[in-house]
Amino acid sequence: MKNKFKYLVGASLKKKIKTKWFAVVNVLLVVLIIGLINIDTIIESFGGDFNEPTNIVVKDETGEMFDLFVSNFKQAQTYLRDPENINIKISDSDKELLIEEIDNEKEIVIYITPDDNNYIKAEIISDSYVDNILYQTITTSINTSKYTIAMAKSNIDVDELQHINTPVEIARNILDETKSSQEETMNFFMGIVFPIFILPFFMLIIFLVQMIGGEINEEKTTRSMEVIISNVSPKVHFISKIVASNLFVFIQSAILLVSAAIGIAVRKATTGSIIDLGMDIDVKNLFEMLMSSDIASKLAYIIPITIVIMLLSFLAYSLLAGVLASMTTSIEDFQQLQTPVMLICMAGYYLAMLAPSFEGSLFIKIVSYIPFISAFISPPLLLLGQIGFVDVGISLGLLVVVIYIMIKYGMKIYKVGILNYSTSKLWTKMLKAVKD
Amino acid sequence: MLKLNNITKSYGDLKAVDNLSFEVNEGEIFGLLGINGAGKTTTFRVIMGLLDADEGTVTLDGKQIDYEVTDKIGFLTEERSLLLKMTVYDQMMYYGVLKGMSKEKIETELDKWLKRFEIEEYKHRKIKELSKGNQQKIQFIAAVINNPRLLILDEPFAGLDPVNVEMFMSAIKEFKNNGAIIIFSSHRMEHVELFCEKLVVLVKGQAVLKGSLKDIKKEYRKKNIFISGKLDKDELLKIKGVVEVRKKQTDYEVKIEDEKYIDNVFEHIKKMDKITKFVVEEPSLNEIFVSKVGESYEK
Repeated sequence: MKNKFKYLVGASLKKKIKTKWFAVVNVLLVVLIIGLINIDTIIESFGGDFNEPTNIVVKDETGEMFDLFVSNFKQAQTYLRDPENINIKISDSDKELLIEEIDNEKEIVIYITPDDNNYIKAEIISDSYVDNILYQTITTSINTSKYTIAMAKSNIDVDELQHINTPVEIARNILDETKSSQEETMNFFMGIVFPIFILPFFMLIIFLVQMIGGEINEEKTTRSMEVIISNVSPKVHFISKIVASNLFVFIQSAILLVSAAIGIAVRKATTGSIIDLGMDIDVKNLFEMLMSSDIASKLAYIIPITIVIMLLSFLAYSLLAGVLASMTTSIEDFQQLQTPVMLICMAGYYLAMLAPSFEGSLFIKIVSYIPFISAFISPPLLLLGQIGFVDVGISLGLLVVVIYIMIKYGMKIYKVGILNYSTSKLWTKMLKAVKD
Repeated sequence: MLKLNNITKSYGDLKAVDNLSFEVNEGEIFGLLGINGAGKTTTFRVIMGLLDADEGTVTLDGKQIDYEVTDKIGFLTEERSLLLKMTVYDQMMYYGVLKGMSKEKIETELDKWLKRFEIEEYKHRKIKELSKGNQQKIQFIAAVINNPRLLILDEPFAGLDPVNVEMFMSAIKEFKNNGAIIIFSSHRMEHVELFCEKLVVLVKGQAVLKGSLKDIKKEYRKKNIFISGKLDKDELLKIKGVVEVRKKQTDYEVKIEDEKYIDNVFEHIKKMDKITKFVVEEPSLNEIFVSKVGESYEK
């Protein structure tokens, strides 16, 4: 019987993996994941207008704005994708001549004139739309320059001016000693990032449910089930399906992880950095901050908890899918029956995304205990500090209880369901099976 | 020996099998007959352990049938229980391993049977690409690949042409000669008549007819008389004991309600002109079946 079990697991796994579609889908997935991780490099390699230098010509009628503008622009260019590719020069030519000289979308003329009431006026002239971030950077630089000039004209000396321009030192004081300000920033960041990490988990659950349902239904509708069950017990058959489909999910997860690793390696080889997004935005610092904060130590236990809760959830979903599939008589019936399961899954995913916006929500906290959904919500809530170990313990406990119930009673339903071909009095039959 | 002892199985209020008992010995082919819904498939499922009987026991060689014994059983289901997306080879490996066979043994047996059924070229073809008849051959091979001691055949000739029916019959007889216990169900009474020594006819789960084919025919009192000569159908119908007269190509088939009327019919016939034939024959199994099933339903 042990050999038969091993064979059933192997045959089931082989049936899923040794198909053209598995190969095709995974080749596409690998290419897509590597592509997504390196999407900026790919876009740049194809070229386009963004590679052309942007020329900003400043016609300064005030005679004192240009240097200030250039200096402020350099400070404000953090969010520009490629600041090295922006040339700023001053011109003495007439405004009309400068406008005539604009011959492409990458030419911008800034016309600054004195104003009696508002110190200066400015006009930004271009042939077409200007990139939004660049436009914001230009306006910020002009405003900052005006502010500096205004201060100078108000007889404030240079030292005073410097003090005014220095950013305010803000001390963050959180009375709860277990919490830190770094963590405050990181919580927000992780609240956004975590749902992205659980997206593959959501996808894998859908794979898992459809796979078990499809296979059990195929064996049932072709009546192969009768021959199989006459040689191995329904229990062995059921467990073999659960083991095979979960192994498949692990293989699929490994492929996704390897693809991501290859994508990151390619990124490192082409850009020289894993997290260089081609911007001056300080992602590196953010990452370093993350690593040095308490989040890193939190992740040390949150990652194992997440893995455990996800593995148990995979098991729960596969047991549920197996029991439901045994009750249906066609793949169409199963697809209908799996819709609520998919909706539960989606609800969990959306609540995980909403959790950071509804801090302290009692509803989300209660929902985080519910098996099948807990894997989506508990880890992010724990990371955000909205729930504690006791809550995670309750989620895990309830999940284990549900798994136990599904093994104990689901097996009885499975035994009756797999050889039942009629939908008449289906629920009565299943209830009778549970009672027996 | 396979022994069913007072098997009863109900689905809710419906008794699918009602107090059924029979025995099948080594080297015997046993017919389990009945119209659709009579309880044949339920009986097979109980024998295979797929369903638990409400009452009664099933034993093979004195032991209850469980997963220790099922490796010795071959089961051909009424519907084609094949995974159509698999190749013939993969399907046989799948079922063979589940019967506790080694992969080498499965391949040897598979090659032997594919050759015998003249379908060697389909070994690595997907089952869904095969014709219905060839799929039935594959299903038969799947049932016998383990050289079973007990062979259960539920409608084995469905979808087969006469040549292939002959091929299957020869294979089944070979198993019988080698001492296998064979249970067989079919709607085609001529097939049952050809090689079943013993049978049971089920109606609504109950055995309405049971025993050896010879005895059943002997005990069935109605007989058919085939007569040739210058005859008048209406005159024949007036003879006491005659229930039906059918004009065949050269003969008249006269059905009598009991064999005790044979002499009476003969006395009347010998007075008629140019009588060249008077042959008394036992009714076909089909006739007995239709008669018994009809009677039971009327009750």
